[in-house]
Amino acid sequence: METNSLLLILILISSLIPGILILLFEEEQAFLRSFLNLFGAFAKVTLVGWVFVGYQQGENYTFIYGLAPDLTFALRIDQLGLLFAALSSVLWLVTTLYAIGYLKGGKHQRRFFAFFSLCVTASTGIALSGNVITFFVFYEFLTLSTYPLVVHRGDDKAVEAGRTYLWYTIGGGTVLFLGVVALFVLAGPIYFGQTEIIAGLASEKSLQLTVIFFLMLSGLAVKAAIFPLHGWLPISMVAPAPVSALLHAVAVVKAGAFGIARLVYDVYGISTAEELKLLTPLAIFAGFTIIYGSVKAYYQEDFKKLLAYSTVSQLSYIALGVAITGLLSTTGAVVHLVHQGIMKITMFFAAGNVAETYGYYRISQLNGLGRRMPLTMGAFTIAAFGMIGLPPIAGFVSKWYLGLGAVEAGSYWVVLVLLASSALNAAYFLPIVYRAWFCEAEQNDVHQKHAGPFEAKALLLIPVVLTGMFSLAAGLFAGSSYSPLSIAREIAEKLYPYLP
Amino acid sequence: MIWMLAIILPLLAALLTSRYPAGRRNAGPIFVFASLPAIGLGLVEVSGITLDWFILGTHFSLDTPRRIILLLTGILWASSGLFSGSYLKDDKRRGTFNFYFGAAMAGNFGLLIAADAAAFYTFFALMTFASYGLVIHSQTPAARKAAKMYLVMAIIGELFIISALFLAVQSAGSTLFVDISPALANAANGPFIFLLGLIGFGVKVGAIPLYFWLPLAHPAAPVPASAVLSGAMIKAGLVGWMHLAPVGLVAWPSLGLMMVSLGFMSALGAVIIGLLQVDPKTNLAYSSISQMGLMTAFLGLGLYEGIPTSLLLPAIALYAFNHGTAKALLFLGTALPTRVGGYWRILMWLGLGLAVLAIVGGPLTGGLWTKYLLKTFLGKTNLPGIDVFAYLLTLSAITTTLLLSRFLHLLRQIEPPKESKAPPFILPWVFLLLAGGWWTMSPTLLPEGLMNQILGEKGMMAFFWNPLTIWSALWPIILTAGALVVVFTLKSTFLNQWIKEKPLIPPGDFLYVILWTGNLFEKQIQKGIAFMQSFVESRHSAEKIIYKFIDNKKTIQISTQAEALLRRWEVVGISFIIFFLALFFLI
Repeated sequence: METNSLLLILILISSLIPGILILLFEEEQAFLRSFLNLFGAFAKVTLVGWVFVGYQQGENYTFIYGLAPDLTFALRIDQLGLLFAALSSVLWLVTTLYAIGYLKGGKHQRRFFAFFSLCVTASTGIALSGNVITFFVFYEFLTLSTYPLVVHRGDDKAVEAGRTYLWYTIGGGTVLFLGVVALFVLAGPIYFGQTEIIAGLASEKSLQLTVIFFLMLSGLAVKAAIFPLHGWLPISMVAPAPVSALLHAVAVVKAGAFGIARLVYDVYGISTAEELKLLTPLAIFAGFTIIYGSVKAYYQEDFKKLLAYSTVSQLSYIALGVAITGLLSTTGAVVHLVHQGIMKITMFFAAGNVAETYGYYRISQLNGLGRRMPLTMGAFTIAAFGMIGLPPIAGFVSKWYLGLGAVEAGSYWVVLVLLASSALNAAYFLPIVYRAWFCEAEQNDVHQKHAGPFEAKALLLIPVVLTGMFSLAAGLFAGSSYSPLSIAREIAEKLYPYLP
Repeated sequence: MIWMLAIILPLLAALLTSRYPAGRRNAGPIFVFASLPAIGLGLVEVSGITLDWFILGTHFSLDTPRRIILLLTGILWASSGLFSGSYLKDDKRRGTFNFYFGAAMAGNFGLLIAADAAAFYTFFALMTFASYGLVIHSQTPAARKAAKMYLVMAIIGELFIISALFLAVQSAGSTLFVDISPALANAANGPFIFLLGLIGFGVKVGAIPLYFWLPLAHPAAPVPASAVLSGAMIKAGLVGWMHLAPVGLVAWPSLGLMMVSLGFMSALGAVIIGLLQVDPKTNLAYSSISQMGLMTAFLGLGLYEGIPTSLLLPAIALYAFNHGTAKALLFLGTALPTRVGGYWRILMWLGLGLAVLAIVGGPLTGGLWTKYLLKTFLGKTNLPGIDVFAYLLTLSAITTTLLLSRFLHLLRQIEPPKESKAPPFILPWVFLLLAGGWWTMSPTLLPEGLMNQILGEKGMMAFFWNPLTIWSALWPIILTAGALVVVFTLKSTFLNQWIKEKPLIPPGDFLYVILWTGNLFEKQIQKGIAFMQSFVESRHSAEKIIYKFIDNKKTIQISTQAEALLRRWEVVGISFIIFFLALFFLI
């Protein structure tokens, strides 16, 4: 096998092997487990970085394994996939640190870390898959490997949440499967980027293609938490903080959003999707979800629930950006894939820190917390301002491109949706910021669970500071040539070759 | 490098003076040092730079009007910073204050030197949100209320600004402001975009009807923060308008008329409400609204045809310079009467009097000069009703005299200390007195060519020492002062009864109209909210509706657990079907 193909496999097994090995270990072998996990995470980041540099230098990375005639397992690198792979591997590393600190001394760590690694394998697989079939396989793999994490606590609430989670995701998987099979029957195997196949069929088989698109979209919309298929996400917040952070802010939900981007950009192609008028319904649903999620978030009293509904809202920014055609909105959609991830993971880390250190779970308990946890709440404040879309934080860059793209496409209602969402984001995030920094804590309420040199356990503090800094840097240095923005811009430029 | 320093130094200062005790002790000098690059950029012309990597590609450069305002801003932050260093020495939250003070300073400098929309918006937001911390500083219920009002209005403003920028940048195809205003002139929806900007920045300027947060927020902040809020930060909105306004390129008479009439409405109306105030700082805040109204009106003139661009904007900037320094001096001055005793009081009254004269436009002051500059435009336009405009300008001089006499009167009622002494923060106050724009220094800020265009060959001194000019500046003041003296001597009881404890109209006047209207409809609104909440607060409202639907059809026979499961399952299934089918309907 060539080195380049081997690299792709290595990226996958850098988390698969630790996952399997951890299952073989004893529960007590904490050090070995942590070491293996961190080693895998570091290896994955390094490998993705290596491939990234190679790809920029014009190397080609493909791995194809024929399962049956026309049915192949294909891994291939392109920029969109690479961006998603980089996002999930870097955030996996950070979250692994966090999880080690968070779960220290807890039960069932073996199960947790094993499935955690499998999840990351699945999401990297989704990023690297080169055709629809491979994508589907990893997509389902992700569904199954997440379930044990959702029910990790094992109480009634968690089991109930797990059940709901399965109903939604298995349902979504089934619908997606229908779509994938129908597509296969109609058009044969489609590798991502071969948009000419569908384009050739568009005029004759427009009805079939429309049905297939909507089937696949319905399947993907579950993970992307588009209304009314978002119900599983807020309930799954019973999972431990690292799970909520990585899976429900990044890996799982992004798999849906990323899938929608793939479907539109690399399977149907923008021009075909536009010709068949498939994007307007998506835009309307996404726009509605943005407002709906924000309104729901506004009424939440539980910190993590609030963040969950905010995720519902923010994810649809990506779908909305995909649904509006144009260089700018595509850039906005792709860059928000990254930006939303780093901002939201910061918020979940912060919420987890607060819960771990002081046992606070409700918004009303956060009074005066800024003084006691300046770094945590500082990072949270940065991320919250970013979510509102205030510069110079990452979220502003996304909003700027989405807004400009909407104006460019003449969809002024989208601008109104963005503005309304910004206002709502301000309405539910600023009270938290206000409580943390400008209210005095009631003294009798303070009992710190943790004692140490820092405001929280170091392993919980480092990740939140890191991702908070990422969120700031991604906006502050958005113009530099290695920022998520410039990569997103390159991706968008390739999708619109006819533009200067 | 100096461009970046103008932003980085204030940010560093914010960190130093908040985190470290040594920094906190020396906050005054540190803030002065941090504003030096900005003052330097205001005095010396430096060629602009482009930083591609910063935000969305940033361009820093200055033109004449912005340079004048930057100089003003630099001087104000330096003197207010020095002032705050000793004024807040015993404040237990001074570290927090310093943090927000430095951050707002960075934002204020940054937005002035930014020449592209994204960076401008960035620094504007930084300034706006950092000054929230200044407004709420005292954490009294009044300050909290003011800060809340401030924040709500600021966010509304931000939303209008960002939508204006979206449209403007898209129609210009560039983020540079030099491209944006010509593009607005040519775009079909140019007036609409400008209107959005007018509203967005109007919040900061305190334009009618968006001003009501201002008389609450500006006085709520500690004295040095009020000075920069009312002297420097309020001008940021004006700068935003200047960026968008295609002065001299268009004829938008209806927008122009709107700005002019709204401008004069606030110029005259704010005075009336301001007169009824009992707090000197609130009185000054209304005076700021009134003065910004005049600037609004003059910028509005620029939307008519035939206005020379190169003159109007620098003239407005000079007016802002004069007003900003004088207003900051008055704001800082409100801290003096309780602390300054003996002969020092003479200096105090002299300085305050000078500042009042400068705002009113008294002889030999920058106020007169800048008013004259603006009046020259009236001569150069041949708009109908321009005479009315000139009369209104004179009338505003009279009303402003009234308002600021009331301010001095309010200060006079404050009990002076027994012994002759002066607090250390009188030093920065004197510094500001010397550096202020009421001296005839302000014309020197203008480029040579402009001077000649306005004054002709005779030059500045001939203008200032001309008896005619002196007389035309003096008579409104003499008239008002005379009238006041007459009223005082004849019927002092009337003035003494003049609402001593509570203002006749509460600060934030218009806000109460809104709240009152809200109260009228309170019941209906509450009903509406209750309905919304009952709808939204359920865990999954959409699902709940479906539940109800199902419950009606099904008899409950199966065990609760299985039923819950079934419900779930059906809910999920129905959601899928709804989603899938709806997609077709929406095509």
